[in-house]
Amino acid sequence: MQGFLPGDTARHHRAVILDLLQEALTEAGLTSQEIDCIAYTKGPGMGAPLVSVAVVARTVAQLWNKPLLGVNHCIGHIEMGRLITGATSPTVLYVSGGNTQVIAYSERRYRIFGETIDIAVGNCLDRFARVLKISNDPSPGYNIEQMAKRGKKLVELPYTVKGMDVSFSGILSFIEDAAQRMLATGECTPEDLCFSLQETVFAMLVEITERAMAHCGSQEALIVGGVGCNLRLQEMMETMCQERGARLFATDERFCIDNGAMIAQAGWEMFRAGHRTPLSDSGITQRYRTDEVEVTWRD
Amino acid sequence: MQAADAGAGGGAEGADDGADGPGSPGGAGEATAAALGRAPPVTRPRHAPRPGGDAAATAGRTGGRTYVFALCVPFPSAVEAEIACGSLAPDAEPHGGVVEKQLTVRGSVLAVRWRATNPRLLRISIISFLDQLSLVMRTMQRFGPPATR
Repeated sequence: MQGFLPGDTARHHRAVILDLLQEALTEAGLTSQEIDCIAYTKGPGMGAPLVSVAVVARTVAQLWNKPLLGVNHCIGHIEMGRLITGATSPTVLYVSGGNTQVIAYSERRYRIFGETIDIAVGNCLDRFARVLKISNDPSPGYNIEQMAKRGKKLVELPYTVKGMDVSFSGILSFIEDAAQRMLATGECTPEDLCFSLQETVFAMLVEITERAMAHCGSQEALIVGGVGCNLRLQEMMETMCQERGARLFATDERFCIDNGAMIAQAGWEMFRAGHRTPLSDSGITQRYRTDEVEVTWRD
Repeated sequence: MQAADAGAGGGAEGADDGADGPGSPGGAGEATAAALGRAPPVTRPRHAPRPGGDAAATAGRTGGRTYVFALCVPFPSAVEAEIACGSLAPDAEPHGGVVEKQLTVRGSVLAVRWRATNPRLLRISIISFLDQLSLVMRTMQRFGPPATR
């Protein structure tokens, strides 16, 4: 059991992308002439898979003579979250296997108010699942969530909020060790560990989100990213929001998890605002901070 | 996939490449040449190994080797060669500059040239390029021909 491997992922994308593209056009009942622009993920992410999609985007953009938009993956999540939930100007908690950031819009940028200083929360959960040999089907995070519901004992774990930021690698090594010890002595069950890990990491996320909301005077919170599907996280965020008189927005697994439509949505906003990505600037980039993009489509 | 056989129109390029490098003599010149990713100027050793006729290793005076690989990919038209180039050129090589790759279009042929000091990374880059090239060609076959400009 392991995480996504770049080579395998790229191979998968190359194998399916053209059929998928054809299917999308057919299902939408559109011809290539009717397409206005081509949006693709510029980054961040794994190199080989990003390239596999970018080359197709560039090729059809040239074949059909359409403008190209290179989209930031994180901004894709934010724009889809805003569209689906109707949140106007929320403080965004973006949590996934690859990212953990608290973001708020200010003066033409999605500013990062807080983030992980090491690994993403989803990465922490997924790697813990491997230690416990929890199944990847449908996803390790989902299975941890189900097991956590059956946990009864709260095991004390390191709580690592550092100002506006969080850290997860310490908790991960702690719980990897603790798991061996405590399960051997029967001091706790795997369910207890799942429960304890969730309670701890989610409390940390709620804290840094709240801190950003207080800083911005924000009355809305929005959770995006795959870990946002977790109902316990949503519950804890809801409690915090209610205490502040703020409103929580969250989406279901169709939109929390990475999806192509979110890239199209952000691409559409960018296109409307006049952005274009020239071919020479269209290279993918594995590191692409959310605040690098000039957000000209919001006031 | 059409003739990606390096023998057809590219392939082994040996120490001749050194001739376009900076001609400065002595150690400093070679260090500069190496930093620019070019082979320092040398005379071709008589028994220079030429595996498969596709790549050649140039032994520099410093003992480091620069490997060069070239590929020529014919397309049905210049427009299509330009499109392929436009799709494949923008992404930077990983591992920050250890492998250099250059794409140019000559008529309806896409010419690709690699230089690297690390043969393993060079091989990985070539294989990866061929995978992406194949995808671009399939895309053009499936969603082409190019719309009139």
